Amino acid sequence: MSLYILPKERLPGFVDNLRAGFRVVGPVRTETGFAFDTIHSADELALDYPTTILPPKKYLLPQRETLFTFHTGTSEQGARQIDVQPAFEDVQPTVILGVHTCDMHGIMLYDKVFTEGYRDEHYIARREQTYIVGIECLRPCDEASFCKDMGTLTAPPVYDLHMTAVDGMYLIDTGTEKGERLLLSNVEVHLATTEDIRRLSQTLSAKWPHFRHRLKMTKDQIPSLMTINYGSNIWDTLGERCLACGSCTNVCPTCFCFDVQDEMDLNMSEGQRSRIWDSCQLHEFALVAGGHNFRGSKASRVRHRMMRKGKYIQQVHSLTGCTGCGRCQRACLVDITIPGTLNALYDEMQIDLNPATGA
Amino acid sequence: MPPKPKIAFFDFTSCEGCQLTVVDALQTHLGLLDLVEIVQFREAMSERGEDYQIAFIEGSCTRESDEARLRAIRAQAAVVIALGACAHLGGVNSMKNRWPIENVQTYVYGKHGRERYESYPARPISAVIEVDYAIPGCPIDRLEFIRFVQKLLQGRKPKLPDYPLCVECKLAENACLNKLGQPCLGPVTLAGCDAVCPSYGDGCEACRGFAPEANFAHMREILQGHGLSEVEIDAQFTMFNAYQLKAMGANAPLSTGAGNGSRRRTADAEKLPSSTFAAPKET
Ligand code: SF4
Ligand code: SF4
Ligand code: SF4
Ligand code: SF4
Ligand code: SF4
Repeated sequence: MSLYILPKERLPGFVDNLRAGFRVVGPVRTETGFAFDTIHSADELALDYPTTILPPKKYLLPQRETLFTFHTGTSEQGARQIDVQPAFEDVQPTVILGVHTCDMHGIMLYDKVFTEGYRDEHYIARREQTYIVGIECLRPCDEASFCKDMGTLTAPPVYDLHMTAVDGMYLIDTGTEKGERLLLSNVEVHLATTEDIRRLSQTLSAKWPHFRHRLKMTKDQIPSLMTINYGSNIWDTLGERCLACGSCTNVCPTCFCFDVQDEMDLNMSEGQRSRIWDSCQLHEFALVAGGHNFRGSKASRVRHRMMRKGKYIQQVHSLTGCTGCGRCQRACLVDITIPGTLNALYDEMQIDLNPATGA
Repeated sequence: MPPKPKIAFFDFTSCEGCQLTVVDALQTHLGLLDLVEIVQFREAMSERGEDYQIAFIEGSCTRESDEARLRAIRAQAAVVIALGACAHLGGVNSMKNRWPIENVQTYVYGKHGRERYESYPARPISAVIEVDYAIPGCPIDRLEFIRFVQKLLQGRKPKLPDYPLCVECKLAENACLNKLGQPCLGPVTLAGCDAVCPSYGDGCEACRGFAPEANFAHMREILQGHGLSEVEIDAQFTMFNAYQLKAMGANAPLSTGAGNGSRRRTADAEKLPSSTFAAPKET
């Protein structure tokens, strides 16, 4: 598509114009860090934020949402009736500003999970009204990330607009036609010149050396690493440490499990069905009728998460199951990390394969 | 319309804060009063009916003479619910369980305390009678109480979260206090309060009781990382849950041979004895 130039001083005007027609959300400073939140003016925007606790997935799949309300009654013939009214909470024209490339990979996975096969009407209603405006990371967010290893340091094709800060301007790539219309109708921009494009590619190639590799293996080797190590005793070590607190999955941009609950109102004739984020790290997650828990031990649950991130999601959806965003590492209080685990599995294999060093 | 179920509220050793929360809940959810008949509620009315099916009991059992009253309630009620941390866990009252009861009596009531005031180690009511459900918290959560009663009246089994508090804390997108160097027992505590304390910047003290898979060993390590002494960590763990921890005996995740955990500890052993609570090495 096309590449435009937005001088930085025009950003506030752009945001104000967007706010006339959209809920504009973006990274803002909090007491202790940054979070995606609704913004009221461009001053609140912290586009150079390192990372957030929750990824922007919360705008596409809110932590809690009502799916439908129901009303039970009796028909004139005396039969019991249930009248169901679908609810669509939090569906509104929204622009998410400042999405990092790793999180765009998360959104790309969400799009696949919630629209292919079973089409999730609540997700789709929200997604259709959402514009994704990305921002290129020119420096690593912090030492917990490993996006370079996971190949998520470049933007996947889910953005409507994608910005890269170069000197006093943003170079904006239009990913979709609606994105281009959004840009052109809300701010004055001009097409990038050959010189602008040269500066952009210079900026983009200059950023790579700042990002380090944390994994000892390549991304392509991870699925087989997981297969071979399904029986590793590393899982027991991690399981012993794990607090079964679910923080790692709740903050993860590629976790999408939810639990569905019904609640009746006080009058006992009305109620609602809602869903809430769930986590495979919790004891109850794999508990099925009859009381059998097919993942009763924490070790089996930690392994399950790692298997999903390293192999299952890739197998089922052909997309990365881990974006390398580092959020789970930042959230975990007992230092269970994806790079730490993968590298430990990798090291163990080297020992196994090498009789000279093997015990 | 079938007759409304009759419910009654009782209190034992407690601050009555949970009953106050109930009063509060009834004011915001007036509809509840259409569905039940309250026959006894000392906190809110003077009438007393003895004909009830559902009994909410606040407070822990701290005297032998409480037991008969508890049994009488159990004999009458079809459903007994422990209301709040004291009834559910023993609560703050059970902090005293860490010292010999005689010494506590002397310390609190003075020289003749042992003769004048009856007292024994605080217990959750489930230690005395069979309890059908518990509504945890210090105090209970108003909305959780309402949801609980709704479910109960609908004939559905009221269900509490059985996962750690961190889940709710992350959903609220709070910055983790333990990561910021401030002690929080969230990882070992049962969720359900919407992580109210961490959301306001205070570490959780486990007033809802411990989560089923509480990883005490690593919780201790996290607290040690904040520079807390063994004694201070024991004090954190036993704020509401001294009864539960004592019941774990030698498996209690408390430092063995440590002092009594009181900040006001003095050298005078008669006034403030050393803890009986350090897990016995051998029994
Ligand atoms: S597993 Fe961890 S690093 Fe990977 S996407 Fe999820 S939160 Fe990010
Ligand atoms: S993980 Fe990489 S892409 Fe994601 S925010 Fe950090 S630096 Fe940017
Ligand atoms: S955040 Fe860490 S401790 Fe909590 S469930 Fe995940 S791996 Fe376990
Ligand atoms: S502040 Fe407490 S409850 Fe919240 S995530 Fe941290 S440890 Fe868990
Ligand atoms: S955060 Fe902890 S101490 Fe506070 S109300 Fe909830 S369980 Fe109780």
